Amino acid sequence: MKMSAPYEGQTYYGQPVVKTPPYDWRIAAYIYCAGLGGSAQILSTLARLSGREMGDVVRNGRYLAVAGTILGTPLLVSDLKTPSRFYNMLRIFRPTSAMSIGSYILTGFGGLSTLTAMGQAAGGTAEKAATAVQLPAALAGAGMSMYTASLLSGTNGPLWAATPRALAVQFGAAAMANAAAALSLAEQKAGRSHVSARLDAVATLALATELAASVVAKEERQARGVAGPLEEGKWAKAYKYGALALGVAVPLACHAANLAAPPGRKKSRSLSILGSLAVLAGGMVLRQAVLQAGNESLKRPADYLRFTQPKAGHWDERKVGSLEGRAAPPRKAAISASEMKPRDYTTGPRRAKDAAP
Amino acid sequence: MGVHPRAQDYPESFLPGVIPDESELTVGTKIEPGKRYGFFTDTTLCIGCKACEVACKEWNSLPADNMGLSGMSYDNTVKLSADTWRHVMFVEKVDGATGMQPFQSNWLMMSDVCKHCKNAPCLEACPTGALFRTEFDTVVVQQDICNGCGYCVPSCPFGVVELSMADGKAHKCTLCYDRLKGGLEPACAKSCPTDSILFGEVDDLVERAGKRVEELHERGVTDAYLYGAPNTPGATGGLEQLNAFFLLTDRPEVYNLPPAPTRPANRLAPGLLAGMAAMAGLTLAAAAIFSAPGEKRR
Ligand code: SF4
Repeated sequence: MKMSAPYEGQTYYGQPVVKTPPYDWRIAAYIYCAGLGGSAQILSTLARLSGREMGDVVRNGRYLAVAGTILGTPLLVSDLKTPSRFYNMLRIFRPTSAMSIGSYILTGFGGLSTLTAMGQAAGGTAEKAATAVQLPAALAGAGMSMYTASLLSGTNGPLWAATPRALAVQFGAAAMANAAAALSLAEQKAGRSHVSARLDAVATLALATELAASVVAKEERQARGVAGPLEEGKWAKAYKYGALALGVAVPLACHAANLAAPPGRKKSRSLSILGSLAVLAGGMVLRQAVLQAGNESLKRPADYLRFTQPKAGHWDERKVGSLEGRAAPPRKAAISASEMKPRDYTTGPRRAKDAAP
Repeated sequence: MGVHPRAQDYPESFLPGVIPDESELTVGTKIEPGKRYGFFTDTTLCIGCKACEVACKEWNSLPADNMGLSGMSYDNTVKLSADTWRHVMFVEKVDGATGMQPFQSNWLMMSDVCKHCKNAPCLEACPTGALFRTEFDTVVVQQDICNGCGYCVPSCPFGVVELSMADGKAHKCTLCYDRLKGGLEPACAKSCPTDSILFGEVDDLVERAGKRVEELHERGVTDAYLYGAPNTPGATGGLEQLNAFFLLTDRPEVYNLPPAPTRPANRLAPGLLAGMAAMAGLTLAAAAIFSAPGEKRR
């Protein structure tokens, strides 16, 4: 795909066309917690069903899932401007609203994860029951991992809306990498590097997926001419160095070095830990940068007007004839000094007529 | 349109109360639930008097927004907001294309308002059901339900609805829901001295607007076109139709309107499906990695 030119036509005194939501770092932090918790539930379920010795992955995953909900939900509620009415989120179900869909995913995931964690804590038969509940919890966890991308792309923020599919894959894969990294750290701490190795392999795959999605997303943004806030400025820097370099490139290098080690040679514990920490930090930067860059793109009238340029044959050209063929209006030229000179009204026919008796 | 015969019943300057079905007298339409109502704003008739802005503020008891000077021609209102539901825009044409002197009065003026979209993205985004479709086919925020999540704000393709930081709720034009219930036409339309703002049944308005465009074309204003009527700019991307639509004489961008806005809900399915597919793929891969034979427990 090729870069397309940004909108350079007239705007209304540079005023934004669309309005920016009041979403700040809390929403980005929620996206992070939701993804980490959601994917941790998936990995925990897989570990439980794998039939292999997986250390504490099952237990830690179950607790992480609940922790994600417990940390994430207050972040969401506190960002409401009338938080005392948070329960109205479950008043109706609106399938056209990612916020509504997400409210139910979060509620379902939170409930099921709490049951799973309680079963885990109780042990015995309760633990068996927890395993049954964990399957639907993991399914909801998959939703938690990536619906937050649709929360952003299901708006008119040009930067988000230009790339709904790739953003969902990017967020989902990042969530999986975050969860694998968190679980891997715990296994390293417990001295079970063979379990960590499996988790690092999962993280590597997820990171590769995330990287591929980020490339596609970038191309799609550029093709729509709305990539600006992720190409220049402070959030572009955070995205490039924080989310991509620290969050993807560094851990990929660490884990790849360990994976490529010949069998029999001991894998480096510090490389694994370093990789996991980088993933966890980068995942947070990714969410913050994408959220804030999107807010910025909403404030840029040129980006939105570029995003909403019609495709050929968009509407019945016979009826809108006068619009077709008319180029986007140029930016207003500054008025030259000669034009500024007022007309001389003291002479000429007008004056003569006035003087007539 | 002439004077409605029923107007003869009210010859006094001071009326005993609200006239039943007053809209019949003022716009020739009786307001009845189940019909679709909207605005046709003809920008070629707008003189920039801002009577609509004032009438709206008065009727809806909206506080003042911006007390400063903006430097944007005669537009010190700047934008639609939680407290401003009509906004008269002033575009100064100084490009010389019209042969007029710079600074000579050559404005495009347009009274902007909530479009009461047929497929309203704000309503489709609202998770609480606070935004709803009324019996007059208009879109209104129920203040006793809104929890201020703000998701309608970036969803509106026209930047209309906004959260008020004073009360933490979303606000926008209600197309005078209370007046419609009482048989009155909306305050802005009633106050408009040039009938640039027309209130009525949408289908009726679209028909009249079409005639108006033809008339303008005949009179040499060949630039005139409709924005938001079916199958015109503004009614694109799944929005289908704007119940409050406009007659413009320059590109939509000049009036701060998107030429081909889209319905964000159309982006949900692609995103969610792609995301779930990625999660399914990663889960299968992780399952394979977890069950692969490997090192024994030490
Ligand atoms: S113009 Fe905006 S606020 Fe008005 S109905 Fe359409 S989406 Fe909602």
